[in-house]
Amino acid sequence: MKRFFQKLTVGIVLRVVHAALVELQRQDARVAAEFARMPEGLSYSIHTGHNAPVLHVIWQGGKLRRVRHLAKASCTLHIKSAALAFRLFTGQMGLAQAYAAHAFTMAGEVADVMRLARLVNIVEAYLFPNIINRRIMTDIPKPQVCFLRTYGRIAWGFLTCKYRFSR
Amino acid sequence: MAYFEFQNAVKLLCGELAIERIANELQHLNAARPLVLSDAVLAKIGTMAQVTSAMEAEGVPAAAVFTDIPVDSSLAVVNHIAAFYREQGCDSLVAIGGGSVIDTAKGVRLVLSQHTDDIFSISGLENVARGTHIPFVVVPTTAGTGSECTGVAVIKNDENGVKMEFLSPFVEPDVAVIDPRMTEGLPAKATASTGMDALCHAVEACTCLQANPLSTAYGTAAIKLIAGNLETATTHGKNRTARFNMAVASTMAGIAFSNSMVGAVHAIGHALGGVCHVPHAVAMTILLPHVMRYNLSRSAGEYAALLPWLVGADAAMATPADKRAEAAIAAIEDLGRRLNAACGLPLSLSAAGVSKDDFPKVAEFAVNDGALIVNPRAATEQQVLEILNAAF
Repeated sequence: MKRFFQKLTVGIVLRVVHAALVELQRQDARVAAEFARMPEGLSYSIHTGHNAPVLHVIWQGGKLRRVRHLAKASCTLHIKSAALAFRLFTGQMGLAQAYAAHAFTMAGEVADVMRLARLVNIVEAYLFPNIINRRIMTDIPKPQVCFLRTYGRIAWGFLTCKYRFSR
Repeated sequence: MAYFEFQNAVKLLCGELAIERIANELQHLNAARPLVLSDAVLAKIGTMAQVTSAMEAEGVPAAAVFTDIPVDSSLAVVNHIAAFYREQGCDSLVAIGGGSVIDTAKGVRLVLSQHTDDIFSISGLENVARGTHIPFVVVPTTAGTGSECTGVAVIKNDENGVKMEFLSPFVEPDVAVIDPRMTEGLPAKATASTGMDALCHAVEACTCLQANPLSTAYGTAAIKLIAGNLETATTHGKNRTARFNMAVASTMAGIAFSNSMVGAVHAIGHALGGVCHVPHAVAMTILLPHVMRYNLSRSAGEYAALLPWLVGADAAMATPADKRAEAAIAAIEDLGRRLNAACGLPLSLSAAGVSKDDFPKVAEFAVNDGALIVNPRAATEQQVLEILNAAF
């Protein structure tokens, strides 16, 4: 039951992280700049444990698209267990801490993980309160718009099925 | 830290007549046809021949030799050597050289053990399973990289100039040979810079986010040996005790950072190497105090704890507690100045021939380097530029 709850939570947070990246591309200049430098076709697969949720995204045509399947992503992260993924996606562990604790393996170029780490840090700065961020980040990126606006847009996006699979 | 991992599976042969034992180790690893990897300089000055002669005398001659490894080796060189190994029907690797030769050999081993032709196809972090075992012996000829005991290989991608990191426990050699004769011929300036590289490994290993009690034990012991022997090894190159102590310190610093990673000094240093071709050890020498000052607000406690290892317990105790972190940085700067006076070791990026025009590219590469993720303080491109300007 516990593992089911953890996987369910991780699956929901993965969807929210993708949605936040889509919205922050327009709201936060740092996210926009990061995407602007991203090579066309760069893709990520994030596996969160055995029989656990997976997020596949690809940067295509100026948008970060969520897709059902990627034969081979440019960068594939395998989080070593669902319990670790739960910690990572619920603000109990930052990405740098996860790296330091060997919580995931990665196939691809380290530079692509670093891009993702910068983006995820900005997303977490909006999604989590500072009391959590102070524990999981060495430096907290300052939000450029009110977090409520980001949450509002994400909620509206889910209501309008904006983040559905692209293919 | 709630969790850490520590691995060091390398057998160390340390001290007198160490290279004479390589043949025996190869035999125990069921190897009979080793491919010897080295560089043109070591082939020319006879260092490589010292090792191959010792191997031959004990019944395991080199089956083939490859010495065309450049200072900043590349993915293409690795792939080429792997093909050469197969052509020659070799069954093991012996790497004789500094960081570039050893990291190239690690890459070759990875390609061979994973039965691929292109190392790029298996790039990543701890992403490959143990493949076919390729017996692998390393003989470092500098006391700095510590690469003989690390689970990482840094190899340049010539297509974009980026130095790529390949992290895997399976790149660690089976045997590392620490023989003081191998570093005796090292010029003073190279001795100084590679020694400072080892110091940088130890300092970053003790202070980055991945530091753990075991890596810190190795790191602090390495700092003590370096502080006590680097100047002597630089100014009296034939002093075998100082040479040996530096070689052991370098290995210990390597074990430390292999298990705790490094930080911003390496992230920026890799970028300086890739963009401006600054030798790795020189970049480390120049950047270390500047990055320590950048990190000071987050790492004062960790830096203060290094002071006794740098200057001795009595001098550290005589320093007020709130001044110890700054004193540790000052001690490293003083060491750099003394080495500069002794052998002309460059202490600024301008002295190393770097142009400010390259700084934006260096900053862009640095923030994409994996070492930055465990630095105690995050750094943006703007902050990297500030560090570079301070070091100019």
